[in-house]
Amino acid sequence: MPRDSARAQGDALRAIELKGRMMLVSILRLHSSDPKELDIALGARMAEAPDLMRDMPVVLDIDSLGQVAVPDLLVAFEHVRQHGFKLIGLQKGETATQPLADASGLPLLVLSGKGAASPAATPSPKPAEPAAPEPRPASPAVHTPTRVITQPVRSGQQIYARGGDLIVTGAVSAGAEVLADGHIHVYGALRGRALAGVRGLVSAQIFCRRLDAELIAIGGHYRISEDILDHERGENRLITLSGETIRITEI
Amino acid sequence: MARIVVITSGKGGVGKTTTAAAIATGLAMQGRKTAVVDFDVGLRNLDLIMGCERRVVYDFVNVINGDANLRQALIKDKRTENLFILPASQTRDKEALTTEGVERVLGEMSKEFDFVVCDSPAGIEHGALMASYFADEAIVVTNPEVSSVRDSDRMLGILASKTRKAEKGEGSIPAKLLLTRYSPARVEKGEMLSIEDVQDILSIDLLGVIPESQAVLNASNSGVPVVLDEESDAGQAYLDSVARFLGEERPYRFTTIQKKGFFGRLFGG
Repeated sequence: MPRDSARAQGDALRAIELKGRMMLVSILRLHSSDPKELDIALGARMAEAPDLMRDMPVVLDIDSLGQVAVPDLLVAFEHVRQHGFKLIGLQKGETATQPLADASGLPLLVLSGKGAASPAATPSPKPAEPAAPEPRPASPAVHTPTRVITQPVRSGQQIYARGGDLIVTGAVSAGAEVLADGHIHVYGALRGRALAGVRGLVSAQIFCRRLDAELIAIGGHYRISEDILDHERGENRLITLSGETIRITEI
Repeated sequence: MARIVVITSGKGGVGKTTTAAAIATGLAMQGRKTAVVDFDVGLRNLDLIMGCERRVVYDFVNVINGDANLRQALIKDKRTENLFILPASQTRDKEALTTEGVERVLGEMSKEFDFVVCDSPAGIEHGALMASYFADEAIVVTNPEVSSVRDSDRMLGILASKTRKAEKGEGSIPAKLLLTRYSPARVEKGEMLSIEDVQDILSIDLLGVIPESQAVLNASNSGVPVVLDEESDAGQAYLDSVARFLGEERPYRFTTIQKKGFFGRLFGG
């Protein structure tokens, strides 16, 4: 009996576990709080890569807005949400203060590596310190299933493997684009664009049977076709990021 | 129920209409009751290639709008049994092709014909989407040069997602490659992509290879589908393609340089 009750107590504690994890987040910086302007910009951005953006967790950076009344800011946040972004926090600053955090229900976060990200750049994710121990949604599976595409990826098509790796068994045509949060494997010829680690995973890699790409990118660093030398093209190539340099080696 | 076949390419000027006319005529010659429909509303051409431009009374858009019935608009071909042409409207724009209208007309034709061949306009806009939306299969016409191949690749991507079958979750429709204006001599000199190059990029089955030929131009100018010129290399290549389309196995001809044949074509075409 006592043994059973001890186990019961252990089980009860096991219902939760508190852990610290490094995490990469995208920052959405607002340069306007005008709902109309936001709608236009957000709509255009979402239309560019709906697969990539929808449900993307973002931390809002509103420092460049200056003084704006809290109710107006709440309206602006709602517009951001309506376009499909998931707000997970506010970058602490002069505009983003505790009263606003309380009113919006968003936690204030202090992120390192502030600055740099230009609003015009593609959504380049910023690495973040283990800020507030962000409560990770209870994930049913630890492992995100790899997305496997068995059809050729043709010019004009875009395939994005959210949260995981991408395997393409056929070719990726010129004018096609494949993206993944993790690694990308292409078992045909890679002639289009391949972007691995699009949310900042710099250890992501690209494997391909034949490299003849228009663009290759890892964690936001990229090389265009013009910068890929003839001897780097060819069969069985591995593309990695070393520091800030995209390296191409033979497998 | 007819098999609805779309002749498409993405790029203009690669030989879609010539192919639609040749394939439809070839099918009819094989005893299949065939209709060929011009989807190029506003830039109609099929009637010229088929040599029936002076017999057009009603057109596709008239039938869609209910101004005429199908029987009134279909033109019976004078040279080939079992062959009918539904011309496009020259005075309207492509928006006149409504999804419901096209579905109704093709449905009506389906009951009567063995094959309905849809001649798609160039591009990937509304007219081209309508031509392929209800198709059961596609013939992708490509010239052996990079821009045509890339446009065909784009079109194959669209066929994989924007047909009724794909939208119903029944997968992409089968698509076959027809390589036109092929010149083995220019491939040899490196001025043109080879059959293997094109297939490597597009990775779909090859239906046929039509050689670059004066006969095609002569046929277009005189309004006689090139398959009726049975002496010509292009005519024979199209007939081979039609036979393959109906499930026959035929060797590919006119794909290598034949010295005698080559000069013969130069002077005899």
